[in-house]
Amino acid sequence: VPCVSGDLSKPTNVTFISINMKNILQWNPPEGLQGVEVSYTVQYFIYGQKKWLNKSECRNISRTYCDLSAETSDYEHQYYAKVKAMWGTNCSKWAETGRFYPFLETQIGPPEVALTTDEKSISIVLTAPKKWKKSPEESSISMQQIYSNLKYNVSIYNTRSNRTWSQCVTNHTLVFSWLEPATLYCVLVESFVPGPPRLTQPSERQCVSTLEDQTTALEVK
Amino acid sequence: DGAAVLPAPQNLSVRSVNMKHVLTWSPVIVPEEIIHYSVEYQGEYESLYMSHIWIPSSWCSPTQRPECDITEDITATVSYSLRVRATLGSLTSAWSTLKHRFNQNSTILTPPRMEITMDGFHLLIKLEDLGPHFEFFVSYWRKEPGAKEHVKVVRPGVLPVYLEMVEPGAAYCVKARTFVKAIGRHSAFSQPECVKVQGEALPL
Amino acid sequence: QEFQFGPCRVEGVVLQKLWQAFWAVKDIVQAQDNITSVQLLRKEVLQNVPETESCHLIHALLRFYVNTVFKSYRDKAVEFGILKSFSILANNFFVIVSKLQASQEKMFSTRKTARRRFLLFHRAFKQLDREAAVTKAFGEMDILLSWMEKFYQL
Repeated sequence: VPCVSGDLSKPTNVTFISINMKNILQWNPPEGLQGVEVSYTVQYFIYGQKKWLNKSECRNISRTYCDLSAETSDYEHQYYAKVKAMWGTNCSKWAETGRFYPFLETQIGPPEVALTTDEKSISIVLTAPKKWKKSPEESSISMQQIYSNLKYNVSIYNTRSNRTWSQCVTNHTLVFSWLEPATLYCVLVESFVPGPPRLTQPSERQCVSTLEDQTTALEVK
Repeated sequence: DGAAVLPAPQNLSVRSVNMKHVLTWSPVIVPEEIIHYSVEYQGEYESLYMSHIWIPSSWCSPTQRPECDITEDITATVSYSLRVRATLGSLTSAWSTLKHRFNQNSTILTPPRMEITMDGFHLLIKLEDLGPHFEFFVSYWRKEPGAKEHVKVVRPGVLPVYLEMVEPGAAYCVKARTFVKAIGRHSAFSQPECVKVQGEALPL
Repeated sequence: QEFQFGPCRVEGVVLQKLWQAFWAVKDIVQAQDNITSVQLLRKEVLQNVPETESCHLIHALLRFYVNTVFKSYRDKAVEFGILKSFSILANNFFVIVSKLQASQEKMFSTRKTARRRFLLFHRAFKQLDREAAVTKAFGEMDILLSWMEKFYQL
């Protein structure tokens, strides 16, 4: 049943939230209609092409987000999306995003961080985050393959001396040697890509202790 | 017509050190009055293609002090025109324009301040953050005859940067200089700083 | 921090500053572009450009931006209050064009194929109303900077 357009105020803050190319369109309910049974319909548009396209899974939905990752998976294109609210026979005008450019705007998630230690060193192996994929069967693409200039800012905190220092690296393995034995060190890693300002997500802080110094351990026996 | 009653600021000049540029001028004095100044700039593009358009400075339109930090306004290695005028209430002076256009490639580069520290057996260097233009060429060596000099390019950051693993009982020296790619110039090296590592020297 | 467009090297431009300048005005500028069915810097213009052609192509594109797009967009920059970002982009593009000018002889061998790519862009530009085309070209600077980033070495 066609609705009367414009009687309802538009959804607000329509924006893409994008992490590792998983692109979710999200919005707020129209002003003054929080808690009311409003439904929404989403469309998207590929910049440079001719018409708006429907997203069938986001027609007459009550939630305030819609996963458009599949529709926006060609990250070198730019996109628009829009959403309108419906309540009974009334509906709002479309509320539109700005031009969304996944290649420049997606947040690069933190790498996986694997730590191993011995008495005086910590070895760190970093695995670049994975790009979003349609299905588990699909082969994985590393964000490194998309951003060849991907770098990592590794900071290491010595809990005993209360000192932190950092190192910017491009490779995936690094060893901090000559550390103090039996000392707890905490590591934090952030992915970084030169270019426009991007939100970043540091990794979980991981702490690991270097082993007892075997030489002193032997003398004690 | 009140426009020309107020004298225009004189003796405009730019003091530029480590890519920080400050435009200064002689203050306009009117007893018991507070004078405000406005600063505007034009890059080479504007003076060639849109000479009637001047851009208000980021921090000094208006200002009460006879100087203006124009660092954020100078954003390309081209020559810039700069002008200042004084204002007192509804009275405004004529514009006074810098005699010679300013280019950031004339900035004075000083050796960087640095702090050499150790965390366990790690040699760390903390360099003053001079802004995104700067890279640091850090040279370090073990203080003994014939020691090899290592060089590392370090970009500015908040945290100290790891240089080298050191051996107990040995001494190490470090010096650094800045490099600004935007103008293709570097500073002189800082005076070397040497540190001694605790503990006994390792048996050979 | 320099560009290496095939045989042509350009120092003295901090690309991060251009990104910050454009990003500060991206939403204002792109919101003025209502012809969303046309993209000037299409994949056919910028994708899979051989290194050898990159110098001639970037020189042609940036010269067009300096001599036409920025010049025509000037009053809009005043109107939208984005003169500061406009100045950063215009003056740095001016620097790149001036430095590429000195490498003209290195571009000669690849003129024809690179020229064809530029003409794709230029033809699409001319098919639009002048003001709309200038607004669109200014709004597509993220596509241009993104392509330039591939030739930028930190």
